[in-house]
Amino acid sequence: MSTHVETLENGLKVVLRPIPDTKALSTWVVYRIGSRNEVPGMTGSTHWVEHMLFKGGGKLGKGDIDKLISRLGGKMNAFTDTDYTMYFETIPASAMDTALMIESERMRNAAFDPKEVEAERTVVISEREGAENQPEFLVDEELWGLAFHVHPYHWTPIGYKQDLASLDREPLYRHYLRYYAPNNASLILVGGFDPAVAMQHVREAFSPLKPEAPPEPLRLSEPEQRGERRSDLVRPGPADLLSIGWHIPSAAHDDTPALILLSTVLGGWRGLISFASGDWRPRSNRLYRALVESKLATDVGVRQEMKLDPSLLIVSATLARGVPLDRVEHVIDREVDKLRGTPPNRTEVERAKQQVRSWARYEQDGVTFQGMLISAGEGLSSWDFGDKLLAKVEKVRAERIRDVARTYLVDEHRSVVRFHAQEGTN
Amino acid sequence: MLGNGAVLISYSLPSNPFVAFRGSIPAGVAAEGDAHGVAEFASRLLLSGTRRHEAAKLADRLEGIGATLEFHNGEEVLGFNGRCTRDSLRETVRILVECLSEPTFPQREIDRVRGELLNDLRIEADDTHSRAAHELARFVFPNDHPYGRDPKGGADRVRRIRRRDMVDFHESHVGPEGLILAVTGDVDRDLVEKGIAEPLSRLDADAEGIPAIPPPPPHKPRRATIPMPHKSQADIAIGGPAVSRRHADYYALNLANLLFGRIGLYGRLGRNLRDEQGLAYYAFTGLDARTAGGMWSLSAGVNPANLEKATRSIRAELDRLQTDPFHADEIRDGKDNQIGSLIVSLERNAEVASELHQMEYYGLGMNFLERYADIVRELEEDRVRQVSMKYFTADGSSMVVAGPVGRTRFSL
Repeated sequence: MSTHVETLENGLKVVLRPIPDTKALSTWVVYRIGSRNEVPGMTGSTHWVEHMLFKGGGKLGKGDIDKLISRLGGKMNAFTDTDYTMYFETIPASAMDTALMIESERMRNAAFDPKEVEAERTVVISEREGAENQPEFLVDEELWGLAFHVHPYHWTPIGYKQDLASLDREPLYRHYLRYYAPNNASLILVGGFDPAVAMQHVREAFSPLKPEAPPEPLRLSEPEQRGERRSDLVRPGPADLLSIGWHIPSAAHDDTPALILLSTVLGGWRGLISFASGDWRPRSNRLYRALVESKLATDVGVRQEMKLDPSLLIVSATLARGVPLDRVEHVIDREVDKLRGTPPNRTEVERAKQQVRSWARYEQDGVTFQGMLISAGEGLSSWDFGDKLLAKVEKVRAERIRDVARTYLVDEHRSVVRFHAQEGTN
Repeated sequence: MLGNGAVLISYSLPSNPFVAFRGSIPAGVAAEGDAHGVAEFASRLLLSGTRRHEAAKLADRLEGIGATLEFHNGEEVLGFNGRCTRDSLRETVRILVECLSEPTFPQREIDRVRGELLNDLRIEADDTHSRAAHELARFVFPNDHPYGRDPKGGADRVRRIRRRDMVDFHESHVGPEGLILAVTGDVDRDLVEKGIAEPLSRLDADAEGIPAIPPPPPHKPRRATIPMPHKSQADIAIGGPAVSRRHADYYALNLANLLFGRIGLYGRLGRNLRDEQGLAYYAFTGLDARTAGGMWSLSAGVNPANLEKATRSIRAELDRLQTDPFHADEIRDGKDNQIGSLIVSLERNAEVASELHQMEYYGLGMNFLERYADIVRELEEDRVRQVSMKYFTADGSSMVVAGPVGRTRFSL
């Protein structure tokens, strides 16, 4: 697929991917700002800012974004991650200027009306409370808090409730002005358009925007973990849960391709971004065989969190009724130990590579998924991050998978959260 | 249509570098009669082993070619969907046909799935949204109607279902009669004939025929509170009977539903509850129109301290439909949205396959997408207002609140 890349004078990187036989257009803007750029006391501010950017400003009144996209039959949304924040609209390609105008206004002219900031406080708290209803969220929040003591991955993008209750408009608005600038963003267009014409429209919409001084690079890095960390949550819930996280390097690291195959051998592959996977449940992997087929767990998954900074590889299991947490943990230990001891056989490696290959195609399903994949790549390094990674995965040998298991799946560098479900809550 | 009665629809989208498919057989909850839970249990075992291959071997074959295949039980049908590449299509369809025609329901897998079902029931029982939504469906479709009962059948049934029950159900209901398979993406005529039609034709036609789905019994509005003191947020579910997919009111009601609780950030409802009052992260409506009937529903997740305020606001919005019905500009925006969404909602292989499947399943005709814009344009404004007044009423609705609410009863 042809992709045209250009950077405007104000620093905005533009990635255009024309798809001749589609009438749809997906417009994405990714900002290099996430919860990793927050400080204690203002956790959740990046996500709150994201909410505020649907409320107008500049040429857009309150409710205008909603109306403009709705009339076109379009879809829109935004996502706040630890490392980046993304906004998108998918609309008929003939309405490109509408999307460009919205994103251009959003970049520098959001209103942050004090009344609207206050109204949104309860909405973001409600979003957090909805997540708190799920034991899996509590386990995940505990795990990241346990594994990171210094780095802002300690908290999740939704932030802590006490911060959401006390944050004021001014720091939120400063956060916005600091990070929402053309030289801290990439604009991605995927769909039915002529690249030369599209580029002209992009220039008209975005060239007038002034850049900001580039944000300071994050100087915090997590010190090496000295010894296993454990936490036991005893709370009402339907099933015991176990989550184990090992420190892994950043997404750009040379070991990432081998870790992808390690994750796949261990727990199956569902693509670089989970949105495309739907409810697909991989079954041809070691942990499914060892835990689900053997009736010790009803569900198990492996998440390789690919991030800007060193992150986690997480194994999560939902335990079958009556099975002790110790037993499931022991089985996971045994499977990890096998990987550290012997390289996976040729069939297993080829099956893992085939899954990664196929998912690279499934994630190209339509303009929205392509836009999301390119944007996530830009958030982490570059628009073609996924393609380059796939090429590197093809070259990984079985021994390398064993080696990265030995390097990273180390007991002293792991954190373990066990959720003990209390009975009689329903 | 193939010789054995199965219907195959394909649409070529060569710019998408893979194939997506979606299919169904009328072997869902409605086909199980009094044997509650059998359809769901059996559907979960279709990848658990065939006469030729054990479960692990099936998984190795599928994932070895990078394909996906999943089965889902629904109120009306056994659904299946998957993805594969052009090169692996023939093998994927062979596996699909093998799973449909030769499942062995091995006892070891039955025991495993029984445990999974019981865990799923416990997880759903701990989920405020699931609890409220299931109870609402039970109220709107009473007397164990297939649309209202838990497809899993409840814990007691899950414990009692035996292998023989599933074998009998499968033999009676799973075959090519009523089977629809929609395929899109990187396919052409030759591939469809050799890679899909040929293996699909091997399904034997010896099932009992398509079961009729009875019309839902009359709905008597009810209220319920489900205390879940350990939760942070409460879920409100409100709803009532609506129409079937082929009912004359369907398109007007679909537009009314869009305006009331879907368009943009959840229509009139979202504007009030989320945007103006900040009471909820989500507050939206849904219209579920099926073969023999339908339901409209409203869902909102709110802090327990705001429950009364939220229910009062929902009541006010429902009443407003009677006193301040949709304005001409609202209806115009809604029509524009529905017509424009044709392009946007069909941008993915999987979405096209799903739409083609629906067109065949509900007998809408293969020219439905060409006709759709005119159907929407021709809707009369007053008709849209009338159906919203008729169906979206507070007094005609049931309401369930699940969450940290004590035993307080909430009125609408």
